[in-house]
Order: sequence, then structure tokens, then C-alpha cells
Amino acid sequence: MSQKLRNVAVVGFAQMPTVARDEHRMSTEMLYPVVREALAQVGVGRDAIDYQVSASTDYADGRPFGFVAALDVMGSWPPRQDLHLEMDGSFAAYYAWVKLQTGEVDTAIVCGHGKTSEGEPDRVYNLQLEPYYHAAMGLDPTSTSALQASAYMARAGVTDADLAAVAARNRTAGAKNPDAQLREAASAADLQKTPFKVSPLREGYLPQIGESATCLVLAAEGKAEKLCKHPAWVQGAHHIAEMQTLGARDLTKSASTVLAAKTALAMAGVGSAAEVDVIELLAQNPAAEMIVLDALGLDPKNPKPVVNPSGGAICADPIMSTGLVRLGEVFRQLSGSAGPRQVANAKRAIAHAAQGHALQQNIVWVLGTERRWS
Amino acid sequence: MNEPPKEPVKYVDSHVRLPYHYVAGDYRATQLRAFKEKKILGSKCSKTGKVFIPPIVNSPESFAPCDEFVAVSDKGVVTTFCVVCIPVIGREIELPYVAASVALDGADISIFAAIQECKAADVRMGLRVEAVWKPEGERQGNHEDILYFRPTGEPDAPFESFIHRL
Repeated sequence: MSQKLRNVAVVGFAQMPTVARDEHRMSTEMLYPVVREALAQVGVGRDAIDYQVSASTDYADGRPFGFVAALDVMGSWPPRQDLHLEMDGSFAAYYAWVKLQTGEVDTAIVCGHGKTSEGEPDRVYNLQLEPYYHAAMGLDPTSTSALQASAYMARAGVTDADLAAVAARNRTAGAKNPDAQLREAASAADLQKTPFKVSPLREGYLPQIGESATCLVLAAEGKAEKLCKHPAWVQGAHHIAEMQTLGARDLTKSASTVLAAKTALAMAGVGSAAEVDVIELLAQNPAAEMIVLDALGLDPKNPKPVVNPSGGAICADPIMSTGLVRLGEVFRQLSGSAGPRQVANAKRAIAHAAQGHALQQNIVWVLGTERRWS
Repeated sequence: MNEPPKEPVKYVDSHVRLPYHYVAGDYRATQLRAFKEKKILGSKCSKTGKVFIPPIVNSPESFAPCDEFVAVSDKGVVTTFCVVCIPVIGREIELPYVAASVALDGADISIFAAIQECKAADVRMGLRVEAVWKPEGERQGNHEDILYFRPTGEPDAPFESFIHRL
């Protein structure tokens, strides 16, 4: 990728710690203090933000056009350009980044919100499937993930103990993350004793229902340096969607992650994923994590570099925000503000997110402490 | 086996059930509880002093927090209205009825309310109205605690007094 792009950086990130259910606040009431905190981090008022994108899903909110409620808490007055995406916030950030590439805007906020606890996510995700057959069969994300896990384990010779080890690594890391929902470290042996939810996936390998609200601040070169001491520059980004029909794709591999990573790494001028210092990826079970690592060209059983120092989605999976948290975590790592989970000397990182059943769509970001284009 | 079906499939029955258990939020819960005492609460913007009903956590206009609850009157003024001649979804009400924006005294934005106990033709911008509450002991702490609004008989409010509170 020889094309010169505009340098854009993540300059701020705030999130509500993930909880099972916030009994005191509506979704937008959770988001408001997070937007305030993100703007306070970069030391500006809402007037300094040119563009905004929010990520939420009306099915989880239980109301059509539910996203318009977020405008009241995102500082959208005087009126400003707004975009809403019914996808995870990481994909919303991609659209903000594209808008920044046009040169029409210099700053943007990206918000993820949704109260997962108010509805029944399994029913919502069931409706995401093809309606005549897959949805009618009653498949939910745990069962489609389990189908994928089974197939992957058979192809790659991966065992239950391997899955337990991946889950335990995430759980041990999550214990150091104050924003995680599951904050107790667990050993592989302990997790392997938990009952199957849908075999081969055990309860201990899966996230619990959780909710949060998130806000990421993006700024273009010229502004970014003024807003943040240690901006995390976007060096490459790409996202790819696969077919919906589960039987039509090889569930043991993530073709879209392979393609997205190839383009994003080429944009960044990085030879391989192994050359970055830290990776945050969105995988809601250990088999999905191994499939993504495989697609990134890494050893799924013994990945290098450091993967998910935050504890990943297994420790906190707030709908619409889980992927945006990966970007936020990478920003924290690259700006040296990750606290006890800081990876020493992190200079370059990958933030991955997935959406849809069995890793249907994948986005790969490459970020670094240096500007990519001069 | 190779013969095409005589009757085409016309539809597939698909039942969608999505239950929700909403959190009211502390702000709304405080307002609803106050209905039992015939009190209407708003929240006050810490920057502009504007009072919002129902109470909200921040002013969408100033972006500042609204961190103080204030009681407003259950009397107010009709700022704009329309006459509804078609059945209303989910509500038993005699037609035609008047749906109005009512700016309560002490509030900076209006609420929506039905105007009763008068002819539709007598409703006008500036008409002074008051809440008619459910009787003592019957109020549940929900929006049905206010049955409707009715004219107070006071002189009309001048246009300038409510034009900014539509």
C-alpha cells in the first residue's frame, strides 16, 4: 500500500467499568459521564468535536431508532454531523476514521452503548441469523460458537485442555483490569471443571452478560498532538465481511481476518502480526481466539506478542462496546497508561474486533506511537 | 418426487418474542415516586438554570449536568395543541380529544398532556390548565397518576411568556 493517507490518532478513551446490570442508570445515563470523561482527558469542550459516530443496536435497546436518544448525551448542540452504526464501536471508529480521511473534519468521538441486561441477548442474536432455517432452529451465539469450536478442534487437534489454557490466560490478565467484569483469576484446571454450556464450550470459557458505555476520541495530525501527549497513530485499518450462511464457509478458519490483517499490516508497512508488541482481540470463547490468532499467522497455543493483557472479551463483553474497548486498550498500552496490565515498551499494536455469528465480520487495526505517513 | 409442488409456499410463520426489563434510572424513579405525593419534579441545569421535565441527567442544550431536583407546579399553560379525531393506540379516550404541550409553571420545557373538561374548540395557545390527579390512595407512582389537564379559569398567559418553552 503505497498510498499516502492522513495521519489520524486515538487521543482519548473512557469507559464505564463493565457490570452485569447497572440498576441506577439507563443506557444514555451511563454514556453521559463517559463522554464527559473522554472530553476531559483531551481537555476540550464539545465544541471542539467535529463529528460523531455511535454504535448501538435497537434490538438490544428494545426500541426502534433508539440511537437518537444518545444525541442528548453526546453534546450534539449546536447540531453536528452524526452517524449511527448497528455494529460494534470498533466498526463505528472505522467510519469515523474514513470521515477524517476526507479532510472534512479534524476530530471525532465514537461511542458504544447498550444495556445488555434489559433484554435477552440470546434471543436478539438468534434473530441475526437467516430467518427461515437457522433462526427457526433456535441457534444462539453460544451454539454457533460451539459448532465452530468443534470443527476447529477437530481440524487443528486442539483439546479441551487447550481451550482451558486460553481462557485461564485471559482470566488471569482480567484480574488486573479494573474495567473488566470477571476480575478473579482462574486456573485452567478450575475452568476445565466448569460444566458445559454448549459442548465443547464450558461456562468458564465464556463471558457473562455485561454492560458498559464507551467513548473514543480520534483526531487528525495537527490537532492530535495538541489534544494528547502520547497519541496512538492509526497506521493501518481494514474490515471484511463474510457470508451469513454458516454452512457456506469454513468455520475452522477466519478468511475475513486473514484478508483484513493482510491489508492493514501492508498499510502499516509491517511484515507480520508477530512484529507488533501487543494484540487486543475480540473473541468470545477460547476457540474463536485461537482461530483469530491462526488467521493473524501466530501460534494459537503459544502466541507472541502479548495477547489480551486486558483479559479480553471472555472477562468483559459489553454489547456494542467490546470491540471499541480493544481500541481503547491498545491506546492505553501505547500511551503508557495501562496501569498494572501495561506491556513494557509497547510501540505498536493490533486491535481486532469481530461481529456476527462465528466471526462473520472482522476488523483489524494497526496502531503505533509513530506517525505512518509524512 | 420430481413433480413440482401443486401449492406454492405462501408464507413461513415466524414468531418473535423479545422480552425487556427496563431500568427506570434513578432520575425517572425519583420523579415517578413523587407522583404519589402529587408532586411533579424536574431537574435543573447546573450551567443555565433551565428546568427539564421529566428530569434528565444533563442538559442536551448546554451539555452540563442537571444535578438538582426541583418541584414545579401542577399548573401551566398550553403552548401548542392539536385536535385528535382518530383512535389512539393503547388508550381509551373519547374522540375528538385535545393533545397539548403544557409548560408547567417553573419548567423550561413542556410536557405532553390531554386536555379535558372543555370543548376542543375552546382550547387555545395561552390557556391556563391544571393537572387532575387520581384520588388519594389510588396513585401508583406512574404516568397514569395524572389523569389529564383541565382549564383553571385564570386569564390566558401572554404569548411572550411561553414562546421559549414550546
